[in-house]
Amino acid sequence: MDDRLRETLSAMMDDEADELSVRRLLSHPDQHQVQEQWRRWQQIRDVMHPGPASSGRVDAHGLDVIAGVREALDGAALDRASAAASDAPAPARHRWRWSAAALVMLSLGVGFGAGAGWESGDDPVVQDVALKGLDQEQWAQMNRYLLEHAQHNSVGAGRGSMGYARLVSVAGHAY
Amino acid sequence: MTQTGLAPAIPLADTEGTRTGPWSMTPEQTQYPGEQSDSQTDLQLVRKVRNGDRSAFDLLVLKYQSRVAGIISRYVYDSQEVLDLTQETFVKAYRAIGRFRGDSAFYTWLYRIAVNTAKNYLDARGRRPQGSADVAEAEAFEEGARLRDPASPERLLQREQLQQALSQAIAGLPEELRSAFLLREYDGLSYEDIARILDCPIGTVRSRIFRARDAVDRHLGPLLNHTESM
Repeated sequence: MDDRLRETLSAMMDDEADELSVRRLLSHPDQHQVQEQWRRWQQIRDVMHPGPASSGRVDAHGLDVIAGVREALDGAALDRASAAASDAPAPARHRWRWSAAALVMLSLGVGFGAGAGWESGDDPVVQDVALKGLDQEQWAQMNRYLLEHAQHNSVGAGRGSMGYARLVSVAGHAY
Repeated sequence: MTQTGLAPAIPLADTEGTRTGPWSMTPEQTQYPGEQSDSQTDLQLVRKVRNGDRSAFDLLVLKYQSRVAGIISRYVYDSQEVLDLTQETFVKAYRAIGRFRGDSAFYTWLYRIAVNTAKNYLDARGRRPQGSADVAEAEAFEEGARLRDPASPERLLQREQLQQALSQAIAGLPEELRSAFLLREYDGLSYEDIARILDCPIGTVRSRIFRARDAVDRHLGPLLNHTESM
């Protein structure tokens, strides 16, 4: 830690450091060094102002609880993580909900994707894979379905309108 | 945490409770003269902690651990209990920091948590806060507190050595450094006020105080390396 940064830390002791300086200090790669310097200066202040720290029955000067606090907080975080891990296998009654939700999301994604891009004809690969082998009647049905789907989306949500807009504006092969 | 263990996260109403006891000094009475009660640095650090910066919380612990222990030791005799409850106070503060609204100074908020942690601890053990509500008696008690502390002889010696070394260090400072440093530490003046008094730029004040602090630190040397777990 260079002198400039230590001077900032000293100003921070006196409540005279700006937010940017505090941020710079806290992002210093060697936090141990920062904390050690801070600790020493706080100790000096404690010695200069013996009142608060020794106002009780036990002289609290030089007390150090930081390791214990860290340990307690890390331990609690670890406990929470392991508790979460042990809860990981969800009860059977919830599993189908996740599966159903995933299926709904998938179908929505496919539907939205179809509305947004498949009909545009911009991507011949997609068109080849998805629409290969449709006869004229099937094409017409598919177009009606896509148009209705896009219209429906455009009423309910802003995102859907994009699909509809693209669908009606594209003079693709299907129209 | 050897004895008290971790209590579950406490509701803020509890941490900011209005309980007052025989040993309840106000937070302002335990504030150093050189410190503002509404420390901007504390608020900056609290914001960082809320954003998940644990090193910011470490700085708050280092800053306030002695004072919190001092508060708790007004309620609890045993030094190990004081250590545990001090630790518990900070753990509770960390967990509740999202609910710290900044209406009061961080130290005031922490002070309340410390007091309630100590009182809850005594309540849970069916013990009343020890001591008398009488202020004069309390002061007399504090006068003799060091003598009653079982660890006092050794600790008192360390303290005396530290204070002697500190006096020497301050006396050995060049005049301009000493003036700035003492105006800050003992009179609690802002850099701006000190600059006005010493008739120099604020940057010079900042630099002088830093150099003074650094010189005192170097003079105290190994005496400060000795950190205790009580």
